[in-house]
Amino acid sequence: MSRVLGRRFVRADGLPKVTGQARYAADLVLPGMLHAAFLHAGVPRARIRRLDVSAARALPGVLAVLTQDDVPFVRFGAAVEDRTLFAHEVVRFEGEILAAVAALTPELADRACRLIEVELEALPPVLDPEAALAPGAPLVHEDWQDYSANDGIVRDGNDCGFVNIVKGDIEAGFAAADEIVEGRYVADMSHPVPIEPHAVLAQWEGDRVTVWSTTQTPFPARNGLTRTLELPESAVRVVVPHLGGGFGGKCEFHFEAHVAALARAARRPVRLVFDRRQEFTATDMARHGIIATFRTGVRRDGTIVAHEASLILDTGAYATHGPVITEIATMMAAGPYRHPNMLVEGRTVYSNRTPAGSTRAPSGPQVCWALEQHVDAIAERLGLDKLEFRLRNIVAEGDEGPTGQRFEKIGARESLLEAARLIGWGRPLPPGDGMGLAVGWWFSAPGPAGCYIKLNADGSATVVTGAQENGSGSVMGLALLAAEELGLAPERISLVYQDTDAGAFDSGSSGSQTTFNVGRAVLAASAQIRDRLLRMAADELEANPLDLELVEGVVRAKDAPGRSVVIAALARRAQDDGELITGQGNPPAPKMPDSLGGSCAGRVAFPAFAAPAFFAHAARVRVDRETGVVRVLEVAAGHEFGRVLNPIGVEGQVEGGIVHGLGIALSEGTVFRDGNQANPHLLDYKLQTAADVPAMKIAFVDAPAADGGPYGSKGVGEPPVVPTAAAVANAIAAATGVRVRHLPMTPVRVWAALAGEDA
Amino acid sequence: MAVAVGRTYHAPASLDEAIALLAELGNDAGVVAGGTDLVVAARGGRRQLPTALVAIHRLSELATIEGSPFGGLALGALVTHADLERSDLVRRRWTALADAAALVGSPATRHVGTLGGNLCNASPAMESGAPLLVYDASVELRSASGTRGLPLADFLLGPARTALAPGELLTGVTVPPQPAGRVGSAYLRLDYRASMEIAVVGAAVLVALDADGRCTEARIALTAVAPTVVRAADAETALRGQLPTTERVAAAAARAAAAARPIDDVRATARYRTAMVPVIVRRAIEAALKRAEEEAA
Amino acid sequence: MRYPLTLTVNDVPYELVVDPGHSLLDALRTDLGLTGTKEGCDDSECGACMVLLDGRPVNSCSYLALQAAGRRISTVEGLVRDNQPSALQRAFLEEGGVQCGFCTPGMLMSATALLAANPSPSEGEIRAALAGNLCRCTGYQKIVSAVAQAAQEMARPTPG
Ligand SMILES: Cc1cc2nc3c(=O)[nH]c(=O)nc-3n(C[C@H](O)[C@H](O)[C@H](O)COP(=O)(O)OP(=O)(O)OC[C@H]3O[C@@H](n4cnc5c(N)ncnc54)[C@H](O)[C@@H]3O)c2cc1C
Ligand code: FES
Ligand code: FES
Repeated sequence: MSRVLGRRFVRADGLPKVTGQARYAADLVLPGMLHAAFLHAGVPRARIRRLDVSAARALPGVLAVLTQDDVPFVRFGAAVEDRTLFAHEVVRFEGEILAAVAALTPELADRACRLIEVELEALPPVLDPEAALAPGAPLVHEDWQDYSANDGIVRDGNDCGFVNIVKGDIEAGFAAADEIVEGRYVADMSHPVPIEPHAVLAQWEGDRVTVWSTTQTPFPARNGLTRTLELPESAVRVVVPHLGGGFGGKCEFHFEAHVAALARAARRPVRLVFDRRQEFTATDMARHGIIATFRTGVRRDGTIVAHEASLILDTGAYATHGPVITEIATMMAAGPYRHPNMLVEGRTVYSNRTPAGSTRAPSGPQVCWALEQHVDAIAERLGLDKLEFRLRNIVAEGDEGPTGQRFEKIGARESLLEAARLIGWGRPLPPGDGMGLAVGWWFSAPGPAGCYIKLNADGSATVVTGAQENGSGSVMGLALLAAEELGLAPERISLVYQDTDAGAFDSGSSGSQTTFNVGRAVLAASAQIRDRLLRMAADELEANPLDLELVEGVVRAKDAPGRSVVIAALARRAQDDGELITGQGNPPAPKMPDSLGGSCAGRVAFPAFAAPAFFAHAARVRVDRETGVVRVLEVAAGHEFGRVLNPIGVEGQVEGGIVHGLGIALSEGTVFRDGNQANPHLLDYKLQTAADVPAMKIAFVDAPAADGGPYGSKGVGEPPVVPTAAAVANAIAAATGVRVRHLPMTPVRVWAALAGEDA
Repeated sequence: MAVAVGRTYHAPASLDEAIALLAELGNDAGVVAGGTDLVVAARGGRRQLPTALVAIHRLSELATIEGSPFGGLALGALVTHADLERSDLVRRRWTALADAAALVGSPATRHVGTLGGNLCNASPAMESGAPLLVYDASVELRSASGTRGLPLADFLLGPARTALAPGELLTGVTVPPQPAGRVGSAYLRLDYRASMEIAVVGAAVLVALDADGRCTEARIALTAVAPTVVRAADAETALRGQLPTTERVAAAAARAAAAARPIDDVRATARYRTAMVPVIVRRAIEAALKRAEEEAA
Repeated sequence: MRYPLTLTVNDVPYELVVDPGHSLLDALRTDLGLTGTKEGCDDSECGACMVLLDGRPVNSCSYLALQAAGRRISTVEGLVRDNQPSALQRAFLEEGGVQCGFCTPGMLMSATALLAANPSPSEGEIRAALAGNLCRCTGYQKIVSAVAQAAQEMARPTPG
């Protein structure tokens, strides 16, 4: 790894983005384009008595009005097929779509929505996930048994995904414990909040539809379209222009089918652009509200001997990825610690809230926040330093993970030590300040990936993939990998991406998978081109290909750099001779680690954590004890990502993750009034601003993974958001002596905790 | 086809023209200055724009900040928060108002948002209200039938309710000279984030000290804990004529809670707001005292 | 009623006809096709729509187009001069201040206004100037350093 990787580079989509040339979905306009609007239910739970769209249809300038009656009756869903495009008979959350309109102007479309006559019989909403699990509780989905679900998902009533981890002998573990520490923590639902709201534009040509969408997952979006509108995959093309961030909120399939159906009915292109309120209430990828309870047995020397955890994830009205996320959550509830005996249970509970789903590191920040406070509480009980207690239990090479995987060389301990070093753990602090630590781990997501590379006659190259660039730079970084392999400058590599007609299937920018999977495909495709170039150059230079290398646009002899041939000349010659130099890569996915499997239930997608990344954050806060206002003064981060390929990109991910994490810690939470979100706008759902951000220090730990991504790298996008809230919580406790057990830790809650209450 | 909405737009070039327009348009008329309340509320769907928009941004005669000969202050309605924040005069003598202006929204909000708009929008969380209350400010209202002055306290009637009569424009704010002695004033807001906040609790305080350091005058006003910004009379009485010892300041601050009638909303519980009043008031008194003491030097 | 309006954007005068309630943002994006300026919220909180009016930042989403008549409007599309990105734009690229890019036009405009008023801002001043521009991707750090970097670069005497 040398010439290109590890150095700072300017991303290829940067220039259009700083000049305003980059077009995002809401910027696109087609001739004759209509504007879409949705009529949302506005109440969390109701039976639909009447839905009459005739007045809306009659309004001049309205070209299409659709309800569930106008589209095929198809149930769909990522894990459980529990939903339909439009509300059918019942309303299960406030943002549920009753009808969709396409009209000449946005104002007309809104007016048409208001002309739709709706009679809803309100039902008491299911909002308390613990009560929803009680026998006889009202069911959010009365027909849940009729739904089909992915194999292996364990469902029962309002629980649409029971998952557990059973390891060792938990009772024996508790019997051997000197101390048993318990704790309960509650996290409110929050939101991914990309700054770009959802937008979709659809246009039909004959039987084919092109959909420009703000999706992070073009192929799953296409699957949703083909399934709900009963179309062949070849009839649907999903294209993402530039995407204005996603953070999981734009994963899966959202409104593409509604807009495509409107465009078909109106026989015109139709564009939908969400406003911020819809973004909060009507999308379906909120961050789960979670109730976590722990009970842990430890020996006096600080060894954990028994660990029990129960998690309840509020998945809202629909399962989306819920059961899979609960599975992740159970791994997070174990944490990167050695556990001889463990019992973790997770439940995915329906409610009448906005559906939760795959937001950046789904369940990670909340469960880490809960577990790491609990871990601090254990250290306190034992009178051990919190760093020391963690070091005594943290996993290392050769240890066994929660589900039995064996860790290879990992940087868990080193990340923790780095974070502690950077923050100056243990140094004296001014009164009112406190420091906290938190550790965590996160998986990489092995999956299929394909890539096609064309060497152009001028020696530049074009990489074609199905991957999606959500802003993180992971697709932009693919140019670095190709450049490194082909001996070209990264600027010589162009990229074609996020178009289902161009690249092969890709699961999208979810699960931090792009570099991990597509990167390997790029390496494989590059290798084919490289081999061809080496052979051509070997002929020309009368050398052995093994003695040649591709560097700085030439193929040259390793021991005599003067003996070289320009890659552009080889490419040109090949083309003149009738040969187009291309490469194609679709390498097998790295294997999943072995796991216990058998003794656990409901483990569908994540029997273990593949190529896990380890990390620790440390925070220093200042708490205003009178007001409960917390200011974060410093955050230090130690991260092991296997190997860092693009430092400027990875730093950007870590810094962005920390600040996102600070929001989760302090200010980002949904407030519900009778089942409707009371703060569906940015004034009262508070993101951190530039003025809130503390000094950040970051260190990377190297531990290349054998079953990792390119050069042993691991997924980068999600880990940084995981441990910040936990570190802040522990810092607050250190500063004040009280634990805030409700996330976000708003001033009102910190103040109440200081007053001995639970707000 | 889209039906053209009958909304009209008027951008008078002079104050007289504006007053005449308001008289002519009657109840349909709605003034827009910076639009940071009016247009934002319309976009968020909370309020409709008025049927006849009278945009007053061109009335440069209303954008002035002037000291009066006897030490008073005259502010035009179109003075922006950024103007207040940067005016030497305001920063030096009317510090609580400068404090408040600097807290409003973002740089963009402060450039565009006006003093007149802040007062006429009549939010209990308005930033400029509490400082102006402690300065005993009056508003100047002009209509076709003449000009009248009204103490600010009488102008603000409740959330989004003022004493503005149809056809009336708020043209400015006048502030009488400050009391004798060493005067200090300050405005403090409880902020969740470092910026871009709306007041959960705010307090403005003016104190005047005599040569012995005794409070000859104390005025205290609260933001966001009642239907309008309000003076906290009990707290003022507790301080007036006293030496402002730590205990007396704390006791006075505690009595400010009597003036608070807060509500529960998504930003805070009423309990929290009530509990925060003494804290913020105490800190504002301390800040004002510090400034008054510095006056001596 | 609809009203004729001349908007001068990046020194180019445009004639259009708008409703009184039409926002400056809608005029720029829909009528003029200047989609570099973005829309991210409905309560003036995100700053994606930031443009300059006579050199000062305004949230164009909640500013009436008609009130911008006769004033100088600057948008991200006007930052490139002589086919060269500005020092600020270059610094955003080099420092990694751009990820998804959706906040970028608004950030650039706020930063442009800042540097015009205060050519050598402190870190705190930069952060305060950008407080009305939300970014979900970067954590602001690289944006703040890009602004600082650009300030330094602009302070350097230009040859010739
Ligand atoms: C992001 C953001 C943050 C904000 N932060 C704060 C904050 O921290 N503190 C705070 O106090 N406010 C805040 N505001 C609210 C707002 O910016 C201020 O109240 C501002 O001063 C309003 O002035 P304006 O000129 O924009 O008013 P406009 O919106 O133009 O008008 C507001 C109301 O006053 C009426 N009006 C305006 N001028 C006159 C006049 N001269 N005579 C008669 N009627 C008139 C209008 O008809 C309208 O009803 C914020 C707003 C936004 C969008
Ligand atoms: S669009 Fe968010 S502030 Fe204007
Ligand atoms: S770069 Fe994505 S919001 Fe700032």
